[in-house]
Amino acid sequence: MTVSLPPVRRATLAAGVLLAGVMVWQGQEAPHGATPFKEQQAMLRRLLPDAGPGRPAGVDPVFWDFFDEEQANAAQIELGQRLFFDTALSQDDTVSCATCHDVARSFTDLRPVSEGIFGKLGRRNAPTVMNAALIEPLFWDGRARSLAHQAGQPVLNPIEMGMPDRDKVVAKLAKDASYAKAFEAAWGRPVDYKAIEDSLAAFQRTLIFLDAPFDRWQAGEEDAIGEDAKKGFALFNGKARCATCHPLNAVNPLGTDYRFHNIGVSAHDKDFEGLAKTALTALEKDSSEQELDRLALTTDMSELGRFMVTRNYADVGSFRTPQLRNIGITPPYMHDGSMQTLWDTVDHYNKGGEVNSWLDGGIEALALGEEEVDQLVAFLFTLTDRRFDAQNRQQLAAQRKRAADQRPFRDEALAQRKKLGFEDRAMGGK
Amino acid sequence: MKSIETRYMEERQAAIEGLRGLDRRAFMRVSAAAGAAALTTGAVWPHSFQPLTFEANGASPLEESFRIAYISDSHLYTKEVNDRFVRSILRAVDDVNRMDPQPDFVFYGGDLAQLGQPAELELGAEILKNVKAPVRMMVGEHDWYFDLGRKWRELFGEDRYSFDHKGVHFVVLNSVVEQDFWTARGLTPMERMQTVAGLDNGLQNPFMVGEEQRTWLAKDLERIGDETPVVVFSHSPLYHLYKRWNFWTEDAPQVQKILRRFARCTVIHGHTHQPLTNRIGNIHFHGLLSTAWPWPYAPEGLPELTVQMNRPDPFNPMDGCGMGELEVSADGLIDKVYRLWNRNPVTVSAAYLKSNGQDDRPARTNASSY
Amino acid sequence: MRIDKKTGSLLAVGGLGVAVLLATARPQDGKPVQVQLCDGETSVSLPAEPASRAEAQAVADGLMAAWKAKNPERAWVMEQDGQDAQEALLQKRFQLVGPYDNRAMLGEGQAEGHPYRDFTERDVVLWEREVRRLVLEGAQVFHDANRLGSTIAVSCDMCHPDASNTHPETYPKYQTQIGRTVLLRHMINWCIEHPVRGQPLAEDDPRMIALEAYIYAQRKGKTLQYGRH
Repeated sequence: MTVSLPPVRRATLAAGVLLAGVMVWQGQEAPHGATPFKEQQAMLRRLLPDAGPGRPAGVDPVFWDFFDEEQANAAQIELGQRLFFDTALSQDDTVSCATCHDVARSFTDLRPVSEGIFGKLGRRNAPTVMNAALIEPLFWDGRARSLAHQAGQPVLNPIEMGMPDRDKVVAKLAKDASYAKAFEAAWGRPVDYKAIEDSLAAFQRTLIFLDAPFDRWQAGEEDAIGEDAKKGFALFNGKARCATCHPLNAVNPLGTDYRFHNIGVSAHDKDFEGLAKTALTALEKDSSEQELDRLALTTDMSELGRFMVTRNYADVGSFRTPQLRNIGITPPYMHDGSMQTLWDTVDHYNKGGEVNSWLDGGIEALALGEEEVDQLVAFLFTLTDRRFDAQNRQQLAAQRKRAADQRPFRDEALAQRKKLGFEDRAMGGK
Repeated sequence: MKSIETRYMEERQAAIEGLRGLDRRAFMRVSAAAGAAALTTGAVWPHSFQPLTFEANGASPLEESFRIAYISDSHLYTKEVNDRFVRSILRAVDDVNRMDPQPDFVFYGGDLAQLGQPAELELGAEILKNVKAPVRMMVGEHDWYFDLGRKWRELFGEDRYSFDHKGVHFVVLNSVVEQDFWTARGLTPMERMQTVAGLDNGLQNPFMVGEEQRTWLAKDLERIGDETPVVVFSHSPLYHLYKRWNFWTEDAPQVQKILRRFARCTVIHGHTHQPLTNRIGNIHFHGLLSTAWPWPYAPEGLPELTVQMNRPDPFNPMDGCGMGELEVSADGLIDKVYRLWNRNPVTVSAAYLKSNGQDDRPARTNASSY
Repeated sequence: MRIDKKTGSLLAVGGLGVAVLLATARPQDGKPVQVQLCDGETSVSLPAEPASRAEAQAVADGLMAAWKAKNPERAWVMEQDGQDAQEALLQKRFQLVGPYDNRAMLGEGQAEGHPYRDFTERDVVLWEREVRRLVLEGAQVFHDANRLGSTIAVSCDMCHPDASNTHPETYPKYQTQIGRTVLLRHMINWCIEHPVRGQPLAEDDPRMIALEAYIYAQRKGKTLQYGRH
């Protein structure tokens, strides 16, 4: 099926792909604007010529061993790769994993929120699947306990791939004799849902991209990153306080604490209290995995984040700390894709986020100057794997250009503490 | 817009109304059913629907339950000196203003200022003007010892007073009276203030209510019947916990003696910046949270009924801080709610205290002070 | 130290391993002599001024014993004349925990004749004074937002009265948010940079050394539990 996009969206997409600077994209596209799968697969072969990833030099061996002991075999990986690119996993045969986790677009779709079957839009930004195998739990709200657990859910989500249930997925694949054979070879049994999930996980475990200029600098190569970036890293660990939630070192190679925080993204127009009430009522009726998945992606309750999973008030509006690896080439940012550049994200933290009753106590104005903001951004762009150097340069240039034009999240009065975070809300009382 | 807690309170209230007519045995059956229902729904409420306890004769001294919010221990410098503490009290004001329905009043637990400076107190007064509900004030030592209460009284009136609200008699005391240690040493007002402002500054004297106020209190309570619920607010705990930090009121035993005859008596105190629970005889004691910073638990003397909050995480500068509520039940006793920012609310219920810690125990700490 | 400035003479006697400073009223007209310990309270009346060093020692020992009996928990420190009032005040303010008592190292036994073991009372007293001095300095920095370099008038004692909840005995430990295994000083610096909002100190900054001294001193007797969170 072909999907026609309105002209404006098409232009944005084209720009996005151009920014990523990956493929010469000439009007041909897979459904929903994805890079043609053949081209993605070709690129994948260039990125990962070997069977599986070895331990990247910058990663702690013990950390790696926790991951490595579950390594899958070649048949499983191959099957996973095939499934990853197969639109048969969707109701209308237009969406595969690679639609939104496009190899040519940093394994995401470079859009604020993703487009599923029949052009339906979700509520959350598709994270890159690069290094996803090293993260648990998964999804922005952590509702999937593992990569395999995660892999099976978009298939059944009504606005992503839209398959009605597990049995229908299994039946659909089993009709293809080559699949039956491949499952037999990989898992020693016919097609079943768990094997689909496990295969997808096995493939994604090969997508490790942790070889960045930052790592070479950490290993002692002084020239690997610029002076600005080095100052940015000092700010990252110091005044800007990023490292509190994004610890980045040999034993925390991804730059995440794997926890959940309300950092006040787009919180100003959210009635969290009302949403929480609605959510509790809804979840009381049905708190199944599939329903949770649906509520999270298709309703305003999406903004409740982790609360939907735990129903703990401490988690209202909180989302998983994303990894910082390859951050430069995976815009837009935040759970709702509401920020276009890394300047925006730093501006957001600099002003202390959008205040709300559940704002994380660690989020307060940082008083960073313009030069310091630039240094932080420079540092963040050193976290991109060297295999994406070209995209990284282009993204940096594009984001810099955009930031020169517009900095919608910059608020100097708040950032420099001339005005205080809760002042407007509290002082309007009577 | 009604909050979850509001709905809970309404349900609870309806349950109370409905149960008044039941005899004890019928009530037990209902409680069991409610408990089972709560289990099967698996709902996670701020505090799950507990079987209610009240007097066997069913007599409730109050017409209705009601709710008071509190903010306490904001330790304001001026905004130019320290923006963080100002932002924190603003956050608390925002919190109480968003409560739905609004609390009957908001109680301020003392230490509005850090160094008792007129500008600090004025800033606090200005901020508290934005509280939608009426505000009742109490003085703390940080408000007092620069000018011995001159500015505070100018802004907020008497430092000790009483009032009645919906059948409960409320008393507010100034419990931070210290014997003069400054004249003999020739201290300036600022030196005196800074001495008192140091929690671990041993150059000051223990807090007390003092004879004058004790006499006033006894007289104030003369007309109050033994069955009337009484709530006493004092900045320092009205018992002996840890003298070195003035988690202590020297003449607390004498005050307790005055309060002993009341069947329903709750003392609410600031100063300690932490969830703190005690019961002495029939008197229930609860601490208040600070908006500025949490204190560690005292190294000795902690009441057995206190369930410590988890040790605050320094990497979250507001952890261990917050505001909260007093839920005054129709039985005249108080459930104390601690709303620690970024944590689940913790309720220390009257049932917990009445049963001496047997029932309705708050979740245990797994990172205690040490 | 209190001395009768008009008539007083200072009789310094090393006794019991501590400096006992006696203020005596000069004997006149054969009247009894009042000898006061420089705590300003403990005193004894003598028929005459001690005639010999041994006699003076006996008097000093007696006074010290009386003082020790009254103050079983406290250690005696010789203070500089003129500073004692101020330091006594600071001691009362901070209630510093005293250091280890090294007097067991004195006296006879295996130490006799050993070149590295024959410490004198003077050594022990000076050790104690020096370590107390640093701890006291640390207490003052700990309680002083200006000396900490705070830009928001926040000092350590505002969250850690008497250095409580500082847990020096739990370092080194891996601190995720700092991204490495840290010592107490690194956590102090983290606090100075963030809650205190100042500039981190150099690790050999005298203020840092004093802060560590005070924090360790206040946690005397705690079991080392490095790595504890």
